[in-house]
Amino acid sequence: MDTRQQDRRRIRAGIGLGIAGTFLIAACAATPPAPTAALDAAHLAITEAERADAGHYASNELAEARIKLDSANSAVTDKQMTSAERLANESRTEAELASARTTEIKAKAVNAEMQRGTGTLIEEMDRHAGEQK
Amino acid sequence: MNSSHETQTRGRSLVAIAVASILLAACAAAPVKPSGAEEARAKLTQLQSNPNLASKAPAAIAEAERAVQEAEQPQTDRDLGLYRVYIADRKVDIAKAQAQTRYFEDQRAALEAQRQSARLDARTREADAATDQMRQARADDEAQKLVAAQAQLQADAATAQANQARSDADAANNSAVLSAQQAAQQAADLQHQIDTLNARVTDRGLVLTLGDVLFTTGKSDLQSGATSHLDKLVAFLNRYQNREVLIEGYTDSVGSEDYNQGLSERRAESVRHYLSGQGIDAGRLSASGKGERNPVAGNDSATGRQQNRRVEVIISNPTIASR
Repeated sequence: MDTRQQDRRRIRAGIGLGIAGTFLIAACAATPPAPTAALDAAHLAITEAERADAGHYASNELAEARIKLDSANSAVTDKQMTSAERLANESRTEAELASARTTEIKAKAVNAEMQRGTGTLIEEMDRHAGEQK
Repeated sequence: MNSSHETQTRGRSLVAIAVASILLAACAAAPVKPSGAEEARAKLTQLQSNPNLASKAPAAIAEAERAVQEAEQPQTDRDLGLYRVYIADRKVDIAKAQAQTRYFEDQRAALEAQRQSARLDARTREADAATDQMRQARADDEAQKLVAAQAQLQADAATAQANQARSDADAANNSAVLSAQQAAQQAADLQHQIDTLNARVTDRGLVLTLGDVLFTTGKSDLQSGATSHLDKLVAFLNRYQNREVLIEGYTDSVGSEDYNQGLSERRAESVRHYLSGQGIDAGRLSASGKGERNPVAGNDSATGRQQNRRVEVIISNPTIASR
């Protein structure tokens, strides 16, 4: 009874050490799979920015997002998966920035248009008032 | 025995952990804060301390804050550090763009209010211009009515002339022509007087309408401009002593009925008082207030209400005795 328990504990300790060792080795050696999700997200973010007309309003950001995505794809070919994932994330963030800047510029333009409309109305009224007098 | 074995196992685990730590430490150089992290932090702080933007895009700013904190972690992997700084920098830019967008959107309510008030101004001015035009049109219309009344008067005069001629012919054959001439002269004279007075010829007699412009709003005192008009009436009444005068005040429907009744009475009375002050026999004058009754136009428009606020001076047709 006592010996059997001891044996079992020894086996368990052995398994524990084995698993820990495997993890350590895996951390150093294994090549992770291609970062498909990150690449897809970057691609989607670029498409959305294009649809918002970022090519017109934030062309620098959009161009950089495209370059980053190309680099990410090259890194996948070179099996540099960590680098590929980071590049894909950078591409996506850059594309999101392109969209955000586009929205900002459009919002600003709307306000300017409203102000100009009101300005014209007031000007016209003043001119009419001038004619009446 | 049992407990000593457990101690042994625990000891082995500790050794394993120590070995693992040493292995990891062997790989790592001294960790440093990635370059560029401070710039990202400065940019974020600037955004967070901008009173116009700090509260506008809370989710994006919180995300930027997390990214910057991550980028600030001391790092032995140089590439990972640079990657995190890159992401943090763009996240701050995104937060700033979103906050700026919200700020612009929030301004629109004020811009819209400005536009509305400018539009309202424009419409008010248009309405004023339209009212002026309408007033002009009404004046033209009244002038036309007067022409028509004069035509009627001429016809009446002709009839009177004929009647006069006939009755005179009955009374005295020889003076027929002379009497007709006199009647014609009288009629022409009367017409001239009525022209001066701007009066309308109606079934009830000659009606002279004094508009509300002759009174101060809500008051019964006559304005100075009104008296020149009334002086013509005085001259007319002095000339035609056999005519009696009925003065009726009217108001629009704004305000209580009692108040309007009182105001119309006071205004009529004010005119009566003026005429009697000018030497017209008080026995020929009677004044009454009609309040909101007998509107001449709709009370639903400013123009209509203005037409309803009036004092009518009705100069009775001469009594039969004068024929």
